[in-house]
Amino acid sequence: MPISNETLKAMIRDFNGFEMTDAELELIRPEIDNYLAAVESLDGLDLSNVMSGRLLKVDEGRSSDA
Amino acid sequence: MPSADLLKLTISELAPKIQSGQVSPVELTEAALAQAHRLQPTLNSFITILDEQAMSQAHQMEDALAKGDYRGPLHGIPIGIKDNIATAGIRTTVGSQVLADNVPGEDAHVVALCKAAGAVILGKENLEEFAAGVTSNNPHFGAVHNPWDLDHVPGGSSGGGGANVAAGVTFASLGTDLGGSVRLPGTFCGVVGLKQTYGRVSQRGLLVTSFNGDHIGPMTRSVMDSALVLQTLAGYDPLDPSTVPVPVPDYTAGLGVRLAGLTMGVPSDYYFDLVDPQVESAIRMAISALQELGVQTIDVSLPSMEFAGALRIAGMADSVVTHEPYLESHRDKYGPDTLYRTLAGQFVLGKDYSKSMKVQRMIKEEYAQVLQQVDFLVTPTAPVAAPRIDAKYIELGGEKHRVRGPGSGMISRNTSPMNSTGLPAITVPCGFNDQGLPIGVQFIGRPFNEATLFRVAGGYEAISPSRGRRPQISEG
Repeated sequence: MPISNETLKAMIRDFNGFEMTDAELELIRPEIDNYLAAVESLDGLDLSNVMSGRLLKVDEGRSSDA
Repeated sequence: MPSADLLKLTISELAPKIQSGQVSPVELTEAALAQAHRLQPTLNSFITILDEQAMSQAHQMEDALAKGDYRGPLHGIPIGIKDNIATAGIRTTVGSQVLADNVPGEDAHVVALCKAAGAVILGKENLEEFAAGVTSNNPHFGAVHNPWDLDHVPGGSSGGGGANVAAGVTFASLGTDLGGSVRLPGTFCGVVGLKQTYGRVSQRGLLVTSFNGDHIGPMTRSVMDSALVLQTLAGYDPLDPSTVPVPVPDYTAGLGVRLAGLTMGVPSDYYFDLVDPQVESAIRMAISALQELGVQTIDVSLPSMEFAGALRIAGMADSVVTHEPYLESHRDKYGPDTLYRTLAGQFVLGKDYSKSMKVQRMIKEEYAQVLQQVDFLVTPTAPVAAPRIDAKYIELGGEKHRVRGPGSGMISRNTSPMNSTGLPAITVPCGFNDQGLPIGVQFIGRPFNEATLFRVAGGYEAISPSRGRRPQISEG
């Protein structure tokens, strides 16, 4: 799922991001590729019933040793 | 006792000698400072060595002893503090040029606790720039060197602390762990590294990192010492909403208790998928050793770890937000690895951030279920032993993986998931590869049950092939 430098530049422009040259965009490319691969790995995974990771639930794990 | 011998002891060995007056905090601190200065040109483990402050504290602790005011096992013990943890009146750079002149007005909560317990702060320790990597090749303050082989990294981001503890400079060092930054220096330097449960130790005064799973934790020469330091650090801090008001048990109580009757889970997914054969062999031997101690074994499945790669998405976005003010004013002062890894975070979409949080929840619940069946999990701490300082890639699974900067993350693949789950994890030395570089085994426990981890880690430590081994440092 590649993403073009033009798209990344448009995102920076439209969302007021940090300016980056073409050469700089190539330097971040491996990190972007990892991000896109991680997103792609979630294709088809139904997360609709999963609660936010930030919310506590009472039945998390066993009780503490304290 | 000669100072060279003093510096080989552990905190638990020193504490009774200090309490009885056999060893004085002043002579101990003098010896540690001399060792720090002697090895600094070789290891580059400090950003700031605090000669005057350390000696002043040592004298105070000696005076306190004379008055019968013994503060406990850290009394008069020289320790190191990673340079992203605030120290009042002492420059705290976070390993950056951006904050090269940053002098906090207050101590971090953990520093205040250590001082109150009588610890002597020897210095501020070198780290990866902004604590954002696993090598401690700092572009501004120079690379930290691994005491076991100076051509190799000590791990990161708390590399100065790992190197100092291994080299007999500090008796404990406080590091920070956002993806393995205490546990990786632990395994690469052959020392014990603890990331306790999220919420167990206050983060107040920890500077400029992500708010998604950061922890302050100790590196020590023994499991007992790790327990002693956590005993000092643990507890609710009303000024840090991430801490949880769970009572703090006696962490040393279970040390020495037989391990028979405990059950360990060996994950059949993820953790052993990409691992160097020598590392895997050492971990399998550790598992066998635990079985011989009477620990039952269950193979456990963690299928949601297939999606563990998504956990990093939230951290990417967090990082660019954390750095935003510095990027706007001091972008030119960043090293390229941190700069470009951080800037990538501006492209993370909100829906992907939310999915990352949900994956985190899904994985957290899976671990909670597995930890109903077993008392702890055992995994390799890192998939490889310490890479060379000049290595750009490691090879695993027939592919090259970046060691640092944009696209890196392979080295922390076994440690970073516990930053997302918040579960406690400890690394203990479990042998060496054929180059003589240390290997560590990671034990993962139930939330707020560090006591069981210490019991297991201590039981294993007593029979580990690493026991009693120290690095022979070739000074330059």
